[in-house]
Amino acid sequence: MNIELNDVELVLQIGAGDHAAEAELFRRMAPRIRLYGLRHLRNESAAEDLTQMVMITTLESLRARRLREPEKLAAFVLGTCRMTVMDLRRSTQRKERILEKFGTDLLKPASFSMPPLDHDRLERCVQNLRERERSVVVMTFYDEQTGADVANFLGVSEPNLRVIRHRAIHDLRKCMEGAA
Amino acid sequence: MNCMNPIDAAVLADYWLALLSSSEEDALELHLLDCDDCGQRLREMIVLADGVRKLAREGSVRMIVSDVFLQRAAEGGVKVREYLVPVGGSVECTVTAEDNILIGRLTANLAGADRVDICICNENGVEQLRMPDIPVHSGTTSIACQESIRIMKAAPSSKMIMKLVTFDDKGSEQTLGEYAFNHTRSMPGPGAW
Repeated sequence: MNIELNDVELVLQIGAGDHAAEAELFRRMAPRIRLYGLRHLRNESAAEDLTQMVMITTLESLRARRLREPEKLAAFVLGTCRMTVMDLRRSTQRKERILEKFGTDLLKPASFSMPPLDHDRLERCVQNLRERERSVVVMTFYDEQTGADVANFLGVSEPNLRVIRHRAIHDLRKCMEGAA
Repeated sequence: MNCMNPIDAAVLADYWLALLSSSEEDALELHLLDCDDCGQRLREMIVLADGVRKLAREGSVRMIVSDVFLQRAAEGGVKVREYLVPVGGSVECTVTAEDNILIGRLTANLAGADRVDICICNENGVEQLRMPDIPVHSGTTSIACQESIRIMKAAPSSKMIMKLVTFDDKGSEQTLGEYAFNHTRSMPGPGAW
């Protein structure tokens, strides 16, 4: 399979019945859909379910040539992600039905490895942040406190808090990359 | 693939934390479904966020924390050990193997203080370390200072003095309060550093 195909070409080939193009679409889109799932479902297993369901819906549509504007593949997948997240929150039963229909061969979990993290270095980098930035980063990431909670604690506005948080994240990343 | 419009790491963090407006989120998600470079950087941010969360749960970072943070930590099953110390006061303290977070709560009147530092001193009052410009505001009546529990679990019995200081118009240091912590080691280990 020529992996240099752009999205439009991929859509057209799937519509023409090219199974290799389907595999390439899965390889390309599944990790992206899984990230969306992690963000909205906060659960790896649920994100994997979402990936399978969105890929099935997308493949069904492309096989049936229902995507009128192939250049809008990403927008179509995003819309499908949103609808499927709502579905997943309503019920998990549909998954079993569609897995029966499609089988599991095509829908094996996508390769999706997270980058490694040097925890000792992270601890040093967090400790090296300015006091204000350290508190903001740790309290925001821990339990994902809202901006309003942290802004209220600091006695600053939410836009000011955003500035502090962004500066802290940049400093933290620089330190983790060894540039600070 | 090289992204022509890479998304700022801090914006990716805001996305992960659900702090973007819906229109910002819409645009970013559309980009992420078309860009593996930014997807990879989002993965790095997720890992970083998880790492910071782990550090917070371990209580291994020295920092100022809010009451909301402590409340949520306790609700999440984290064991918080807290010592309240009045201005000029002292407290007998320790830490056990079961504790996850250690807090020294310093009572203080910060009215009129623009910048506040915490000086961590030895038993003779000699400054060993300073936490400059701590995140507090003038209406605060107490400051929750988290000490690294990993360090304190290893620490021998010792006395530590914390000083809260501010600065007048001329930049001269003014002490707002002193607080003594008489730490007794309750876990096995060496008698001194």
